[in-house]
Amino acid sequence: MKILPPTLRDKKRYLAFELICEHDVTREELIREMFSCVGSLIGDIGSSECGIRILTFEDSKGIIRCAHTKTEQTRAAVATITHIGGGGKRAVVHILGISGTVAGATEKYLEGTEVFTL
Amino acid sequence: MARLQFYDLNVHSIPDGKNPSPEMAALAKHFGYAGIAITNHSNTEYKPSGFESNDFEVFKGIEIVSTNASKLHGLIGKYRNSMDVLVVHGGNEDINRAAVENRNVDILAHPQTPKDSGLNHVLAKSASENDVAIEFNLDAIFKGRGGRRVHALSHFRKNVEIARKFDVPMIITSNAASRFDLRAPREMLALAGLFGMDKDEAVSALSTVPAGIIARNKPSSGFIRQGVEVIDIDDMDCDMNSEPDNETKETGGSN
Repeated sequence: MKILPPTLRDKKRYLAFELICEHDVTREELIREMFSCVGSLIGDIGSSECGIRILTFEDSKGIIRCAHTKTEQTRAAVATITHIGGGGKRAVVHILGISGTVAGATEKYLEGTEVFTL
Repeated sequence: MARLQFYDLNVHSIPDGKNPSPEMAALAKHFGYAGIAITNHSNTEYKPSGFESNDFEVFKGIEIVSTNASKLHGLIGKYRNSMDVLVVHGGNEDINRAAVENRNVDILAHPQTPKDSGLNHVLAKSASENDVAIEFNLDAIFKGRGGRRVHALSHFRKNVEIARKFDVPMIITSNAASRFDLRAPREMLALAGLFGMDKDEAVSALSTVPAGIIARNKPSSGFIRQGVEVIDIDDMDCDMNSEPDNETKETGGSN
């Protein structure tokens, strides 16, 4: 299928985040927990409007993509993450900054930043 | 514009919470707070903090727990002078009422009772007159799930509406019992937006309201008595730079 022209594409924002957790967390565990939290706070309809997706996640840092008008709602939803994975591992997601491009978010907020060590 | 200074004035450390206060403070500082208040419940043992930093302050606080209004007033009198932040553990109709009627109380924490939001027009008027801030403990939203969270959200929404009408100071706190219960200031503002607080209200509930509470209880080093204060020369410079025209006019007039 032909790709949409730029004016018709959904506008996105990219949230750079760090994960502060007692143990190492896999990408799958984070994704599962995030969708469960987002779904619980804003429901299926809200989730689909937010269009949240985890793009990259390594070394406890990563990028979340969301719709450009829903950054505050996404922030709130992500802030409701308290545990990740089995065994009740405590965790906090801290949003480092928001950018209009993946490259911008990576350069400004992720490169060279040290994740807080407990 | 100067960068806003954010404060979280209801944080619990060991033995009330899970972590010692320096650990709580380290994470709060990393999140960008200018300070936190350790407000352990009055029925647990108090341990002072040992966290020192140039641009981060840990305030001494207490969350007073009592089931009896007259005992509450006694405890408030007992702790007032030694504490920077005095919080009352709300959640009971009599206690809520006693707290908002006492000028020495800084914050009424989680006033919501099992029945309702814990705030009405009578309490709101008293809180406004006595400058008692109503707390919105956001841990109810980010930690709660299901029915409990639904109730918390609707009580908070109601309290925002009442507080707005009667001009009651509102304050946002994490009520953290572990360092994983802390949230960064921007996340706190986003969570406050979920129950109808607008952006300006939320920002002031996390910065100017707590800063005001600290300022009135912890006078600056130059404080002499009510209305008399030695001002630092650096502060003077800031004022002059912000309004250079007025400053020169005034000196000209006095000469």
